[in-house]
Amino acid sequence: MIRQAEPGSPAPLGRVVATELKPATPHQFHFWTANETTIGIGAIVKVEGPGVGDQGPGRVVYGVVTDGFAYSDLATPLHDVVAAEGDPARAAESPSVRQEIRLWTAAVLRQQPEEPLQPVPLGAVYVASDADVAQALRMDAYVTGAQPSGIPVGLYTAAGLEAPVYLDADFLLGPEAAHLNISGVSGLATKTSAVEFLLASIFEHFPAHKGRVAALCFNVKGPDLCFLDRPGALDDADRRRYERLGITPQPFERVRYYAPFKADGVNLNTLRTHPDLVGDVEPLVWGLSEVLDFAEVLLNRDDIDAKADAFIDFLSDRVLNKEFDDGFGGSHRVQTFADLNGLFRAIFDGLELSGRSDMWRTHHIATIRKVRNRLSNISTRCKGLVTDDGPSSDLPWGRFEDRTVYVVDVANVDPLGQDLVFARAVSKLREHLERRDLGVEAVVVFVDELNKYAPGDGPETYVRKMLLDISERGRYLGLVLFAAEQFRSQVHRRVVGNAGTTLFGRMDADELATPGYHVLSPAVKIKLATLPIGELMVRHPHFTQPIFVRFPRPAVLRGRDGVERFPPAADLPFEEAVVRQLARLDRRIRPNQVKDLIAERRPDDVRRALAAVRRTRPDDALAYFRRMLGARVAPATAPAREAVPPLNPISEEPY
Amino acid sequence: MPRSWVDAILAAGAVPASYVPDASAGRTDLEEFTGADGVEDVALRTYAVADTRPLAPGAVAFLDGIEQWRVVGYGGVTPIVRGYVAAAVRRRGPDRRLRTAAEASRELAITRLESLAEPLRRALAASGVDLLELAEEDVGQPGRAIQAARRELERARLAQERELGERCLAALGPDEWLVVDGVLSDSAALSAHPRALGVIKSHGAQYFEGPELERALTLPAGHRTSVFQPKRRGARRAIYSWYLRLWPWEGNDLLYGLVRVEAHADAVTVARASALSAWLLRERSPLSTPDARWDRLLYAIHDVETYLRSRTPRDVIAPPGSRLPRTGS
Repeated sequence: MIRQAEPGSPAPLGRVVATELKPATPHQFHFWTANETTIGIGAIVKVEGPGVGDQGPGRVVYGVVTDGFAYSDLATPLHDVVAAEGDPARAAESPSVRQEIRLWTAAVLRQQPEEPLQPVPLGAVYVASDADVAQALRMDAYVTGAQPSGIPVGLYTAAGLEAPVYLDADFLLGPEAAHLNISGVSGLATKTSAVEFLLASIFEHFPAHKGRVAALCFNVKGPDLCFLDRPGALDDADRRRYERLGITPQPFERVRYYAPFKADGVNLNTLRTHPDLVGDVEPLVWGLSEVLDFAEVLLNRDDIDAKADAFIDFLSDRVLNKEFDDGFGGSHRVQTFADLNGLFRAIFDGLELSGRSDMWRTHHIATIRKVRNRLSNISTRCKGLVTDDGPSSDLPWGRFEDRTVYVVDVANVDPLGQDLVFARAVSKLREHLERRDLGVEAVVVFVDELNKYAPGDGPETYVRKMLLDISERGRYLGLVLFAAEQFRSQVHRRVVGNAGTTLFGRMDADELATPGYHVLSPAVKIKLATLPIGELMVRHPHFTQPIFVRFPRPAVLRGRDGVERFPPAADLPFEEAVVRQLARLDRRIRPNQVKDLIAERRPDDVRRALAAVRRTRPDDALAYFRRMLGARVAPATAPAREAVPPLNPISEEPY
Repeated sequence: MPRSWVDAILAAGAVPASYVPDASAGRTDLEEFTGADGVEDVALRTYAVADTRPLAPGAVAFLDGIEQWRVVGYGGVTPIVRGYVAAAVRRRGPDRRLRTAAEASRELAITRLESLAEPLRRALAASGVDLLELAEEDVGQPGRAIQAARRELERARLAQERELGERCLAALGPDEWLVVDGVLSDSAALSAHPRALGVIKSHGAQYFEGPELERALTLPAGHRTSVFQPKRRGARRAIYSWYLRLWPWEGNDLLYGLVRVEAHADAVTVARASALSAWLLRERSPLSTPDARWDRLLYAIHDVETYLRSRTPRDVIAPPGSRLPRTGS
C-alpha cells in the first residue's frame, strides 16, 4: 500500500536501506523506491533522518543517484525456466508478477550538520526541491549574499523538477580556481554550443565587483564561431530554459572578427565573407618582429638548440628595426622578411667572397641557414597572415572592451600559422593582463581541439608549454582557458587537471574505459555514453559529485546554418578586393578612384600601400594610399622585391 | 506491540531465555481416517485438466497467515512464550501485481499463570498483553509445555485468518475470488461462499482407502480427482473437495506437487472443478522458490507470507547469529 502524503507535506519517494553487505556510509547510501518512479541516474535526493521536523533539526543528507538496480525474488534464472516450462512466451502469462525492487545507490553531496560526519541515517528519501538542489550543491554560499557570484550553467532536471545550477565565478574565472575543460564526441553540437551558451551566461552574470570580462575565441575548424552576432533558431523549450536561468536569449552584442588574408593578400581567409557580413571582419596581418618574438613556435624539437636560439635573440636585439652593419660594408635596416632576406644574402655573399671561415659574428653559417629557412618557411606557408612588409592589422591590445567576444578565425590557416597565432595572442594577453592594461580584468580564451595543442604525449612544444603555464598560473592574472577536446585522456594531464570546472558531453565508450573515468559508476558511464544533445555532466569545485544539467541551445546562429544563410562569397578580383579594403576604412572612397590608381601597378606594391593605410588609419585614406603607392613604386627609390624562396620539404639540405 | 511486557516479566524475576522453534511448519494435527462421499463420481476417478480452459477471474484475493514465537523467560521451569500471529489478504488486480487489502496481527503471552510467582503474574497482568493459558497437564517438562504453547498459537493464527477471511468476503467484488491457504471448512462463511477456494498443502487427513487412496495419491501431473465431500467431523462444515497434482511426483514423493482444493458444496463447483483446477495449474508460475514447499505453495500465497514476515517484529524472529552469550549492548 502506498500511502498518500499528508496535505502540504511531500511524500517520500523511497527509504534508505542498509545491510551488512551494503551499509550506509558517510559518503554513500542505498535506497529503494516504488517500481514506477520519476527518479533516475543523476537525480538529486534528500534524506531526512530521525528528528527532522517536529522534533527539531535532525540530520539531512543530500545525495545524487549514481547507480540503480532492479531484481525480483527469483532465486535463480532456472526457476523461471521451470515455471514457464521452457517456453519464454509462457513466462509472460504468469498470473502474478514477481515482487521486484528498484534499489538505488546515491553518493553523498552534502550533510547537514557537516560535523560530526556520520553514516547516512536510515530515513525517508525525498525528491530534492529547488532549495534542496541549492543546498546540496553548496550554491547557497555564492548565489546569494552581498556579492553573489553565480554563473548559470544549466538546469538540473529530474523528477519533473527544473532547478538552475550555478557555477561560482570565483572558481570558474579565478582567482580561487579557474579554467573549464569540455569533452565529448564530435558532431553532437555539444562542446561549441555549451561554450557559446556559457559565454553568454558569463557576460550576463559576471559579478560587477569582479570588473570587466571579454572572450578571445580561436575558430579552428569550419564556420563554428563565425556567426556569434547573428540570432539562431530557438524553440519554446529553449526560451523557457533561458528564462529560468535568467539569461536573455540573444546573440552576442559585441563581436569582433579577425582573419588573415589568403595568399593573394587582399581576400580574407574566412567563411564569413558574405557581402553583408565581411565588412566587420578585420584582417589579421603580422610582420617580421611579431614572428621573431615567437620564433620558438616555428622550431621543431630537432631544431631546438642553443645556437639557433642565440642567433634569433641576436636578430631581435641587434638587428631588428636598427641600422645594422653586416661587416662586409653593407648597412641594413631590417623591418620586413624581405629586408631580413637581404641581410642573409649579404652575409652569405660576404662570407663566400671574402673566403673567410664559416663563422659570422660567432654564428655558424649552418645555424644562420637553419634560422633563415624556418623564417622563410612561415612567410611562405602563412602568406596571408605574415607579410614581408610588417604588421598592418592586429588585435586591439590595450583596448579590449567589456563583454566583447574576439573571434580569431584561423580555420584555414596552416597548422604552423595556427600555432603562431595562438602563441602570440595568448602571450600578448598575458603580458597585458600582468600590466593590467588590457582593457578588461578577465579574458576567457576558448580553444577547441585541445588534444592537438596540448597532447598528453608527443614532443614538447612551445604552445603546450604555454598552455601549461596558463592552466597553472592564469587564474591569478584573469587569463582563463576554456578548452574543448574529443578525448580528454589524450590531453596533457596537468592541463586538464588544472581545470577547476569540467563538462562532459556524450562520451565515446572507449574513452570512458580509460583510467580517468574509473571514479564514475557504470551507470553514470552508460548515461554519459548516451547523453542527448544539450545535456552535460558538470564537475565543479563546490559539487562533491558530478551533476547532470541541461542547457538551452545558444542563441546564436550555428556555423553550419550560418554558411547556408550567409554563403561565403567567391574571392574578389584583385582590384575589387582592394576597393573593398579601402572602402572599409573610408566610406567616401569611390571604386573607380582606386581602380584608376592601381591600374598597371605591381600587386606587391599595392598590397604594401594598402598595409600602410591599414596600419596608419589616416583621415583621408585615399590620399594616403596614393602617397604610399607613389612613394614605394617609384623606380628610383623602390628596392626590387626579392621573393623569399620557399623551403623545399624534400630538399637535401639538412636544415 | 512494544516488548515492554517482556521487559516487565524479566524485571519481575523471570529468567531470560531465547529459544525460537521452527515456525509455520504446517498443521500439526494428523487426523484419523475420516472418509468421503463421492459427488462427481461414485468411485474416485481422475480427470486431465491441462487442456481445460482455466477460470480467469478479474481479481483474486489471497489469504494467508503466519505465526512466530519464542520463549522469552522462565518462571521456575514454566516457559513464558511470546507469540505473534498475523494474517493478510493481498489482492491481485488486472496489472497482476499483489497489493495488501487487509491485514491483522496479534501479540500473545502463553504460559501457565498459576505456575508463576506472584510478581511475574502481576507484571503480565499489568502489561495488558493478551494471555493464553496453558492447561495444567501441559506444564511440567518444558518440552511438553512448549509443544502445548505452539498448539495454542496455531489455534490463534487460524482464528486470525478465519476472522480476516470472513471480513474480506464482504468486500469481495462480483468477479473476485478469495483463495485461502488452508481449509475453508473451519468457517461457515468461507465454506458457504461461492467464490472462496481453499488450497491445502498438508495432507494429514485421510479420506480414502485402498485403490481410491492410491488413485488420489498417485495422480499424474495436470490431473484432478473427482469432486468428493469429506465426511463431516466435529465443527467442520459441508464442503466439496478434490485433489490436484501441480507437478509430476515421480522421482520425488507421493505428496510432491499435490494439493487438495476445497470449495462451496454446490453443483456449480462440480461443474467448474476442471476450470478451477486449470486456473490453479496456471498459478504454478511464477515458482514460489526459495520456499521448500514451492511444489505446492502458490506464488501469491508465498507473497502474502513474505509480506507478513517482513512486517513481523524483528525481535520475534530467530536471530541469524549464534547463541553465544552476549558480550555487549
